[in-house]
Amino acid sequence: MRTATKTAVWPGAALRRADNVELAPRLSEDWLSLIIGLFIFVLALAGIANVDLLGWVVTTSVWNDVGKALGPVSKSYASLGGFGALAATYVALLVLLSAAAVALKSDLRKFVFAFTAVFSIAYASWIVGNFANFAAVTPAELQKFGITWSLKLTNEGAYIFALITGLVIANVFPRFAERIKEAVRPELYIKIAIVILGGFFAVTAAGKLSLASSLLLRGVAAIIEAYLIYWAVVYFVARRWFGFNREWAAPLASGISICGVSAAIATGGAIRARSMIPVLVSSLVVVFAVVEVLLLPLLAQTFLSHEPLVAGAWMGLAIKTDGAAVAGGAITESLILAQNAAEGIRYQPGWILGTAATIKVFIDIFIGIWAFVLGYIWTNYINRTSDKASIREIWERFPKFVIGFVVTFVVGLYLALATPADIATKVPAAMGEANTIRVVFFILTFFSIGVLSNFKKLWQEGIGRLAAVYLVSLFGFVIWVGLLISWLFFSGVKPPLAS
Amino acid sequence: MSQVNVGEEFRKAQAEPILPIEKKLIGWSLGTGLVLLVILVIVNHLFPATI
Repeated sequence: MRTATKTAVWPGAALRRADNVELAPRLSEDWLSLIIGLFIFVLALAGIANVDLLGWVVTTSVWNDVGKALGPVSKSYASLGGFGALAATYVALLVLLSAAAVALKSDLRKFVFAFTAVFSIAYASWIVGNFANFAAVTPAELQKFGITWSLKLTNEGAYIFALITGLVIANVFPRFAERIKEAVRPELYIKIAIVILGGFFAVTAAGKLSLASSLLLRGVAAIIEAYLIYWAVVYFVARRWFGFNREWAAPLASGISICGVSAAIATGGAIRARSMIPVLVSSLVVVFAVVEVLLLPLLAQTFLSHEPLVAGAWMGLAIKTDGAAVAGGAITESLILAQNAAEGIRYQPGWILGTAATIKVFIDIFIGIWAFVLGYIWTNYINRTSDKASIREIWERFPKFVIGFVVTFVVGLYLALATPADIATKVPAAMGEANTIRVVFFILTFFSIGVLSNFKKLWQEGIGRLAAVYLVSLFGFVIWVGLLISWLFFSGVKPPLAS
Repeated sequence: MSQVNVGEEFRKAQAEPILPIEKKLIGWSLGTGLVLLVILVIVNHLFPATI
């Protein structure tokens, strides 16, 4: 049977990566996520001047009466009501992301239809996940809702519902998945969310600055380790045990060991591999990342609930692709906080997710440097060519959304720590509103990751050998070395207790 | 619609012996990683994180 991997979808359509990122847009998703994330951050900062520009964003509470599930995040927009806030959020995101779609050379009409479907289904899944029997955690909450049992997933555990809904669409309704693909953009959504997260993380860190700075330093140490150890071993396994040639082995090693799609593509470009190789590697990365998101947070909750930051770092190191790793961090945080809350320990939220996201951001920063190292070796010693790797490529491959994360973090930290009290006290509320819209981007990310994960790819002829390297390296090595490194650097470090 | 047959790609690919430069890359990467691991873990224990 001849099966094939498709690299283009229809005539005239922009070429895309496995994670649905255009390869030749007017403006890259990276820059767009930076611009959109900073735009939302600036809107949130208006709150410091008592101008509430984001109070209409919808927020969802744990419910057993669906009429009370939704509401605007700010009381000043209470007149909107729950469904008004939901509609306002949908319209605002539709306008903002339609502009992004134009910049990405997407078909605007298709995008509007697709985004409407994506937003509706993803948010509906999120609302279902917030049903009290799924999300209530403490005995007090059970009593409040008049229920005797709950899965205790917390409201953030509802991300799983969005992910599973996406998986069902991808694998049971593939034609519908194809129709909504214009708006299935996990990398764009998660990068916008990460830019916004910088400001929220700054407010969290401002309260415990010494802990935050030690976490940053430990994150850097953990990543250096992951790069040096992971890549070498996976490359060796692919070359020696599975007999891959260099053109396949290098992008495969980067995809499995470093940061999935971005690393595979950066390495493929650096060693001048044919473009279809990183594309194929990426399609596997996306599928395996979903398996990890579903599996690792549960393992973390079972075995690491008393080492929350080890769990957060582990998600950042072990799960590939930005979207899946940060998504895994969010689920892990909700599960571990719930488990601890049930035992009477209430950790401050944000630290587990912050650790996972920070580690992932650092990993992204290093991709360009590592790709340059590989490119230098390949073009000078392996396939000697006049097209030598140049230092400029480090900047070209630098993930620009990281600039946004750093800017929102530094500005947020400055406002929280170095401004008069009348300003500083308003920063948490402003960042809280931005964080509410960040949650909406997370929901879209989870759903999109699911929709892109068609497990049939694993049964394609020949790809089984790639999948075998992936399986052996990921579950036999990467996950456990990531756990060991996380344990070595983060064990015994606990998040602050909630006041 | 461009299509790639992965199985065919692998069949066409010629076996390539591991070159000395690749062995060097693997060795240096792993060696540096392990040495740094020991150093960083010691530093980590000397300067523990505090809340």
